[in-house]
Amino acid sequence: MLKTLLEAFALISTWEVIVAMFAASVYGLVIGSLPGLSATMATALLVPVTFYLSPIAAIATIVAASSMAIFSGDIPGALLRIPGTPASAAYADEAYAMTRKGEAELALGAGVWFSAVGGIAGTLSLMILAPPLAEIALSFSTFEYFWLAFLGLMCATLVARSSPVKAIAGMFIGLLVSCVGIENPGGVPRFTFGITDLFGGIEPIPALVGVFAVAQVMRAMLTPEPPPIPRRKFGSIMAGQWRLTKKYHWQMTRGNIVGIIIGVLPGAGADMAAWVSYAMSKRFSKEPEKFGTGHVEGLVEAGASNNASIASGWVPSLLFGIPGDTIAAIAIGVLYMKGLNPGPTLFTEKASSMYAIYLMFIIANLLMIPLGIAAIKSAKQMLRAPRELLLPVILLFCIVGSFAINNSLFGVVLMLVFGVVGYFMEENGFPIAPAILGMVLGAMLEENFISSMIKADGRLAAFFERPIAGSLGVLTIAVLAVPLVRRAMR
Amino acid sequence: MRLPDRVTGLFLVGLGAAAAYGGWLLPPVPGQPVGPNVFPLVIGTGLALCGLAIAFGIGHSFEEEEELIPVEGGQPTPPTGKFYGLRALLPPALLLFYVVVADRLGFIITAALIVYVTSTALGARWKLSLPLAVLAPIGIHLIFSKLLRVPLPPGLLPMPW
Repeated sequence: MLKTLLEAFALISTWEVIVAMFAASVYGLVIGSLPGLSATMATALLVPVTFYLSPIAAIATIVAASSMAIFSGDIPGALLRIPGTPASAAYADEAYAMTRKGEAELALGAGVWFSAVGGIAGTLSLMILAPPLAEIALSFSTFEYFWLAFLGLMCATLVARSSPVKAIAGMFIGLLVSCVGIENPGGVPRFTFGITDLFGGIEPIPALVGVFAVAQVMRAMLTPEPPPIPRRKFGSIMAGQWRLTKKYHWQMTRGNIVGIIIGVLPGAGADMAAWVSYAMSKRFSKEPEKFGTGHVEGLVEAGASNNASIASGWVPSLLFGIPGDTIAAIAIGVLYMKGLNPGPTLFTEKASSMYAIYLMFIIANLLMIPLGIAAIKSAKQMLRAPRELLLPVILLFCIVGSFAINNSLFGVVLMLVFGVVGYFMEENGFPIAPAILGMVLGAMLEENFISSMIKADGRLAAFFERPIAGSLGVLTIAVLAVPLVRRAMR
Repeated sequence: MRLPDRVTGLFLVGLGAAAAYGGWLLPPVPGQPVGPNVFPLVIGTGLALCGLAIAFGIGHSFEEEEELIPVEGGQPTPPTGKFYGLRALLPPALLLFYVVVADRLGFIITAALIVYVTSTALGARWKLSLPLAVLAPIGIHLIFSKLLRVPLPPGLLPMPW
């Protein structure tokens, strides 16, 4: 244990990792704070850069950028009432109301402080949950993996904040994408239309860059420029945060726990965590009438929640390759690229790398406090970053990044197609997360289903015969049945 | 660009049917209970059913309308010209342009054109977009081609590094 920890320290205390982490933090803060550019987009655009970094430095950039971006989305939320990332949307109104009451420092300070606390709580959950789960997962066979992938897809569709039919349709679209290629049980070219570039299947990274970056640029072409921030001199950012921590420690803990649970659920990420926690905070508050008028309580709980979900989203990603949210879906792509294939053996064979990931999460969340304060103080300059300069450069980054995956223009074509598809899906109310999960989990679902069927000689009952597989199967069916039963009861 | 649910639904019915038919044509593997045809069949059928449900407006009541958050001093209203919505198609059109001409013109020239058009479309004046169109491609070329060794197409204007 101690030896692994020391090894982990050695892994992260190289110049490459330190510089990568710092640069990614600043980058994440800037992208996250710009309205319309989300944390997921920040992560997707980092991928081409991670090709050229060592595995640990590559993960460091993702950890740092995603944690920072989720916090910095609070800045324009509080100052302009425009959330910088979807994860801040739940409480942007509340934070802005506080700013109007002259409490901008308190609102933004709570954003930094409880984000950092939440991030560390999420990291602790990752440290505590993942290794014992890995022990159990070592005995998993194809039956269990089939159910896990299936359960993951069901969760992703059920938690989507949209029409369930559209969420399921989104999942099917993702699954359909995963069918492409010759990596299927028959080894026959499937939906490749004679294009050799498609034989290996759809490369996930250009597709993700398309869905999250190109589609965002397309949307930004239509959104008006955010208004300038009124001139303001900030007082002390951290003053009063300790008092808040003591006063609202129960709300903070509840936010952490809810965030951790939602992060672990596949497909539900930071934005869902913030919405649920804000609603819970209001529901259980002693003074619910103050919500919406600039009351800090909901901010504490939701801020603690969305950052907790970022770290805990890595639990299913590292263990099973099932992304806890869209950022983790990108992280999984990077893990595969770096030879750190997700699976329970990561925790036994590459334990020092896992410890390095925990340490990086903790460092990123500690770094968030000074960098976050600096970002708040320079919010006026940062938010003025002109979009007409930024978006063209982002577009070039997309091109070079998707080209660099295989050094082929086909990556650019894929990105372009997925960008358009992602844009139209989101414009028409089809949630993106289930589609991404379908795309990432499709192969896993099919492979394990077919291997299981061969093992069981075509008997479907075999899917319920092993104890863990049976429980997972029953759980999946329960997850599916609950909303239907509730509907029927009404 | 928001299309009526009827249109997206019927499109999904078509896509699902095509996928199911495509799956159905694939040969099964002898002696194996399920072959490569099963998944596309299931997915295609599911997608077509979802499409039907969407076209008939089932589940529509769950959708939350996005609220426009008003800002102090009034929200800048986007211009609502007839072709304004088509602006969103500019980035994919430029990407397509890159795919078609990059090998001939090279990265620097193609990228410069893309940057110039995008920034102008976003309202930058030429005093801003012209220097950006010159500097951004060179900067990115320097990072990716020189430092990260991505073989970007040289085309008409190869860089000295």
